[in-house]
Amino acid sequence: MSDTKQPPDRRDFLLKLGTGAGICAITVQAAASMRSLVPNVSYDSPTTVKLGSPAEFPEGLKFLPDERLFVFRDGNTFHAVSAVCTHLGCTVHAEPLPNPQTVDEDGATVKLTHRFLCPCHGSRYRGDGANVSGPAPKPLAWFRLSLAADDGQLVVDLADAVEHDFRLTVG
Amino acid sequence: MRLPTLVRTKPEAPGVHAEPFWSFRPQSDREAGDAIVSNFALHWFPAKISKASMAWSYSFWLGTISAALFFLLILSGLPLLFLYVPSVERAYQSVKDIEFVVTFGSWIRAVHRISAHLMVIAVALHLIRVFLTGAYKNGAGRGQRRQINWVIGVVMFLVTLFLSFTGYLLPWDQLAFWAVTVGTNIASSIPVIGPDVRELMIGGRAIEQATLIRFYVLHIIVLPGLLGGLFAYHMWRVRKDGGLARADAESVLESARPVAVVPTKTYTLLGVARGTAPAVTAKSIEAPETTVNAVPDLVRRAAIATLGTIAVVSIMSVFIASPLEEPANALVTPNPAKAPWYFLWLQEIVTDTTIRIGSFTLNGAFVGGVILPGLLVGLMTIWPWLDRSSSLAAGVWLPRSRRTQNIVFLLIIVFVLALTFVGMVLRGPYWNIYWPWEAWPEIPGRI
Repeated sequence: MSDTKQPPDRRDFLLKLGTGAGICAITVQAAASMRSLVPNVSYDSPTTVKLGSPAEFPEGLKFLPDERLFVFRDGNTFHAVSAVCTHLGCTVHAEPLPNPQTVDEDGATVKLTHRFLCPCHGSRYRGDGANVSGPAPKPLAWFRLSLAADDGQLVVDLADAVEHDFRLTVG
Repeated sequence: MRLPTLVRTKPEAPGVHAEPFWSFRPQSDREAGDAIVSNFALHWFPAKISKASMAWSYSFWLGTISAALFFLLILSGLPLLFLYVPSVERAYQSVKDIEFVVTFGSWIRAVHRISAHLMVIAVALHLIRVFLTGAYKNGAGRGQRRQINWVIGVVMFLVTLFLSFTGYLLPWDQLAFWAVTVGTNIASSIPVIGPDVRELMIGGRAIEQATLIRFYVLHIIVLPGLLGGLFAYHMWRVRKDGGLARADAESVLESARPVAVVPTKTYTLLGVARGTAPAVTAKSIEAPETTVNAVPDLVRRAAIATLGTIAVVSIMSVFIASPLEEPANALVTPNPAKAPWYFLWLQEIVTDTTIRIGSFTLNGAFVGGVILPGLLVGLMTIWPWLDRSSSLAAGVWLPRSRRTQNIVFLLIIVFVLALTFVGMVLRGPYWNIYWPWEAWPEIPGRI
């Protein structure tokens, strides 16, 4: 072969064309195959769930395993705290306090009757969901409660996190 | 072990191997070479091997043992494929059937499970051995690229862990469900892309049928195929890098006695060597007394290692039953919920690494579950390029020139083992520390 530049011959061109086409085809097919694994529809359970009539809830705390939710009742006011640990998503357990206490938080009075403990990595939360110790990076979420327009049941919106001064007053 | 010879009426043509099999008891060097070259199962073996690289006390044959365990896993996985049903309604029941109804089912499952656990151990020990002997280093041979094989090895180690983890979910019991909950939530703790990564891993937002089928396909096709391919390349590279690093160390030790040559011939012209006066060195590796034929010596030792592994696993599987917990229940987290033992050190780290600076909080799941292991694996991968020690340290156990790095490496191993011990033995309900002699408190099942 001499050093002078030869014009690319047909063989060379066809070889490059074939290789390029092959790579393109495989890449696009691989991308299509990968894309098919990204779900387009998520058949999640609905985020708005009817929890039952407010009268069915006992004073204090009730754990709803299906929604992974604690519903607190203090007279005729209600609020709901998530049971999903903010660290890695295990379900926290509620432990009643021997001496319930009342704290003043941002103007709102909170009655602390329980504390929450996570079985996976030992995170601890106060009764209002504030993270106290362990690896949990933030407090447990609070969710919006409302009353169903049709039958007056308590409804939680698991997609709507609210501030810790949220209370639903019934009646 | 020579198999019956066919009656030959005509002499063989060149390149024709008239017998149906090959000889494992070669009578000559020619036959020994033939036993490799004409052997479809052994073609990736060298024809000759140095005695030093076959020493039990050098490699402990951990790579062969890992490969034997992989072979056993494929073998014991085959009957399980016929018996296991990858659906959330039936997975648990089918595993229960394998355990209690199918004849020899519990033994096959035990072989599969114990091989998997032992493979994690064997592969980890193999990696530790390679590090401590500096076997990722290039020795005497020109153009060696042992770093590549080290990187392949690290990837194979990760694939082994992931294979184990994907198999963990398949029984669809409590252990499985919560290990996967925690494992995939670690992925979702990555900022910005985390939730999408988790969704891709589990095929939705909750651990359900889509998750099971994903882990199943990864477990039976994708990851074993990947590991098999990497294994073939790993072995090929061992050959192409001139065998084990031990052989290099051996040739350096006893060679370097230049033999005087007549300086009149121009070897360059002949294409034999560079320069006009080549120094011919008698490498011990080429000396007849330091090498043996791969058939039968290497084959015999490989067979001993493989059969020994099979025997140990088979016997252990008779005595150690495989656990099966309650069916998976998304409503109740077991207390304590522990990861598989080889991930317990990570569970310890994610427990302890949530960082709080003022009001800014970095989730321990991200620090301990992604950043720290990522750094560790990254550092391990590029280590051959950072290790500046002499090539004389290749293939030598704990050489003086690599003392510091070996000590640091061992300290990290000890640290990981200590965390594993804490997670395995000391952690009780609510992940509290309990000494072995302390009883765990009674915890009501729910609330």
